[in-house]
This record gives sequence, C-alpha cells and structure tokens, in this order.
Amino acid sequence: MTRYLRLMRLFTGATLSAQLEYRANFVGAVLASLGEVGVALLGIGVLFGQPGTDTVGGWTFHEALLVTGFFMLTEGVISVFIQPNMSKIAEAVRTGSMDFTLLKPLDAQFGVSTRHLNVLRAGDLLIGLGLIAYAASHLTVTAGGLAGAAVLYLSAVVIVYCIWLALSTTAFWFVKTQNASELFNGVFGAARFPVTAFPVPIRALLTFVVPVAFVTTVPAQALTGTLTPALALASPLVAAAAFVLTRLFWLKAVASYTSASS
Amino acid sequence: MTAAWRKVRVLFSTRFAEMVEYRAEVVIWMLSGTLSLVMMLVWMAQAASAPDGKVGGYTPAEFASYFLGIWVTGQLLVVWVAWELDMEVRQGTLSPKLLRPLDPLWEHYAAHVAERVVRLPAMLGLVALFAWLAGASFSTEPLNYLAAFGLAMLGFSARFLYEYTIGLLAFWTESSTSFQELVWLLYAALGGMFAPLAFYPQWIQNIAAWTPFPYMLGLPAQLLAGKASLADAGRGALVLGAWLIVFWFVRLAVWRLGLRKYGAVGA
Repeated sequence: MTRYLRLMRLFTGATLSAQLEYRANFVGAVLASLGEVGVALLGIGVLFGQPGTDTVGGWTFHEALLVTGFFMLTEGVISVFIQPNMSKIAEAVRTGSMDFTLLKPLDAQFGVSTRHLNVLRAGDLLIGLGLIAYAASHLTVTAGGLAGAAVLYLSAVVIVYCIWLALSTTAFWFVKTQNASELFNGVFGAARFPVTAFPVPIRALLTFVVPVAFVTTVPAQALTGTLTPALALASPLVAAAAFVLTRLFWLKAVASYTSASS
Repeated sequence: MTAAWRKVRVLFSTRFAEMVEYRAEVVIWMLSGTLSLVMMLVWMAQAASAPDGKVGGYTPAEFASYFLGIWVTGQLLVVWVAWELDMEVRQGTLSPKLLRPLDPLWEHYAAHVAERVVRLPAMLGLVALFAWLAGASFSTEPLNYLAAFGLAMLGFSARFLYEYTIGLLAFWTESSTSFQELVWLLYAALGGMFAPLAFYPQWIQNIAAWTPFPYMLGLPAQLLAGKASLADAGRGALVLGAWLIVFWFVRLAVWRLGLRKYGAVGA
C-alpha cells in the first residue's frame, strides 16, 4: 500500500514538472475554466431569472447552485485526474506502448489510472469547491450532512472513474475511444441540474441507466439533509458494483491484449 | 469558370468520400451536442409544473419546438476548423498545403459542407423521433424552412470564418482552442441555447442584437417553430451578411500576418 502511495507521489512530481514547462498553456487553461463555469452558471441563472420562479424541480436557487458546484467539481476531477490518463489508453494500445505498462511489476490498472495529471485544470476544482461553499453558506448544513456528502461524493468519483475506465478499456478491441468519452460528456451535461428538474421518465434514466444523479444530485441532497436513506445506500452500492465490474472488464481486456504488431 | 467549377467538384467529392468513411463518428458527434436537449427537458418540466402551464408564455410543447429547432440548427452550424488548424500549424502539416494554388480555407470549407450532407439523414430521423416523443410541432409554412435553412447557411459561413481566425491564432499562442471555448460560450448564450433570447435581461438582448449569434441560431429555430416572421429573417440575413464581410477581411488580415510569422521561424 505504501509502495503505491509513494509511486503516486513520484508520478505527480513528474507530470507537474513536465507541465509547468509550458507556461502559455496556463492562460489557456484559465480561459477554459472560465468558459466551463460560465456555461454552468448561465444555465441556472436564466432558469431562476424568470419572474415568479422560486424553485426548479423543488430546489431553491442556492440548493440548485450546490448541484452546479458539484458539477464543476466533477468536471475538475475529470479533467485533472481521469481524462489525462484514460485518453492515453487508446494511444498506448494503438502504438504498442501498453506492453511496457503491462510488463511492470505493478498493477496495470493502477498504472494507467494514475500516471498522468493535468494540474492546469486544478482551477475547476477550486471553482467547484468555491461554489459549494458559497451555496452552503446560505443554507443550514449540519456536520452529519457534511460527512454524508463527503462519503457520497467519494462514491460519485468512483462511479465516474469506472464509467470512463470501462469506455476507455474498449480501446483494446476498437482502438478508437475518443468518441465514447465525447458521448459521456454529452450525457454528463445533464448533471448540472438537480435530477428532479427533469420530466419523470428522464429522471429514471439519469438515475439507473446512466447514473448521473448519483454524481451531483445525491451529494447535494446529503448536504441539505433531504436525502432518503434508500438513495444514500444505493450510491456506495452502485459505486462498489461498478468498480468490481470494470475491474473484471479490465482484466478480461488485458488478457485478450496481443500487442500492436500481432 | 470551368476551372473553378472543377476545383469545387473535386474538393467536394474527395471530402465527401472522406466523411462517408467517418459516418459512425458523425452520428456520435451529433449525439454529443446535448446541451440544447438538456435545456429543453428542464424548461419543459418547469412549464409543466407552473400553475398556468406556461413559463414566459411558452407551453411545454412550444419549448420542445424551440429547443429542437435550436438542436437542428446547431447541427448545421457545427464547425471544428479551429481545432484542425491548431494541429496543422503545430505539426507543420500546413507547409505542403501552402504550395498549392488554392487557399487552404476552401479545403476545410468543403469538408464541413460534405459532412453536413452525411449528417443530414440521421439528423432528420432523430429530430422526427425527438419531436414525436416531446410533442413538438413545427411550422407548416414551406417558406419558413427555406428562410431558416438560408440563415443557417449564412450563419455557418460566418461561424466558419471566425473559428478559422481563432484557429490561426495558433501561429502565436498555444491557447487557441481555449479561445474557441470562450467564443462558443458567447455563441451558445447569445444564440439562445439556454433559453429563448426574450427570457434574458433587456440589456443582454440589446447587446445580442448587434452580434451575429441570435440570427444564426435562435432566429432559424424560431422560424422552424413558427414564432418568427419572414421579415425578421430578412433583417437577420442582412446583419449576418454584414458580419460575414467583416469576418472575411479579419480572417484575411490574420492569415497574412500569420504566414509572415510562420515563415519567419523557418517552418
């Protein structure tokens, strides 16, 4: 276990020094973060800006802002930790450099998941946390709610990681996976609003088929203390199931890997 | 004349063949632009739960018509040229293209138009399905469709030119794709992707009226939904035409400056 932690520290240091070489990219990353938060805020801003609108899907402005905060935070987690790694899996399979990862005396899934880091988008993490803190300061939040939200958000990150890994693992057969992650981003866009803001049939879809509801709505509900026990239990269970399934899928993919030349 | 026509034919047919190769991707790119659909669902639910069944004078069905119109128009306006130029400048693949007796702009333009043709059948199928599911209804006036299509084509050309200019910024900065994201935000906000423009504060509407965005996205959608008149379309076409001329000259100026810079570093 400590060996894996030490490796993570090494990987982080290596990618950090590689990225800080390109200072001009920093400006670009800041612009991109501003764009992201602009889209997220405009979406709910226009909704609540209508005369006579106090709630959207039963959520007040600050409650909905909480969901937007979790959405931005997750965008940050994806662009800092998940996407930089996952987008390289397809490339590694195509060029054959996956061989090196598989040969190392290190769990390959851990290797492909933690090697890269896009620190330039860390701004998204800060914006997300800032929005959550701002929204929470206008609501009554208990210590229990905070702890619950933290745990449920952890499950949320696991779920998002598993979906990305599963999509990227298809690279072992299909070579190109960029499009699959594009599709995920499209569906994930729905997470910027509380799931109750959608018509009923769509809610079920966003909870059980593409579990987007668990990522932003459920942690926000935990913070405001409106979470039902069933959903509170479901989120970690879905995360655990997703983790086991993607782990099996990953192992199966690696077993069928025949390198680039064969 | 015939030489120019031959160039057009060859450009289009080769790009068309290339795009047909990518048809599966084209469908996926189409499905990944979901923001207008997400906004549609939220507004529909919002109107359905309002006491009089309306928000801002729109019923759920009218929201469906408007946002599906936005979705279709958005499909016709898709432009990725900035991203490609960024790659070409960075990797130097632009250099051989400079030797050809043709501005590389046309090659990209032809590729985009060809992709639109590949996109069309799946797009019409999907919009029919969505319209049936959401209960949307579209204009029964044939002229409205013609006007909406004309505006979308003008809008596409304008967007192509300004995105091309942003892509050319790759000669100077590595952040050109981020500028693209910011401009996309303006396009989406002022074009009416989050809500019909009338839902915005008055001062934003006043600013938007001077930009090309409401006429390339929101106006065609309103025409399709039967909520805008042909006179509006005419005015929109004039504004778009003026912007098209401005963007053309800006693009030309940036292209010339950029080439000088590109040549100077010895590529």
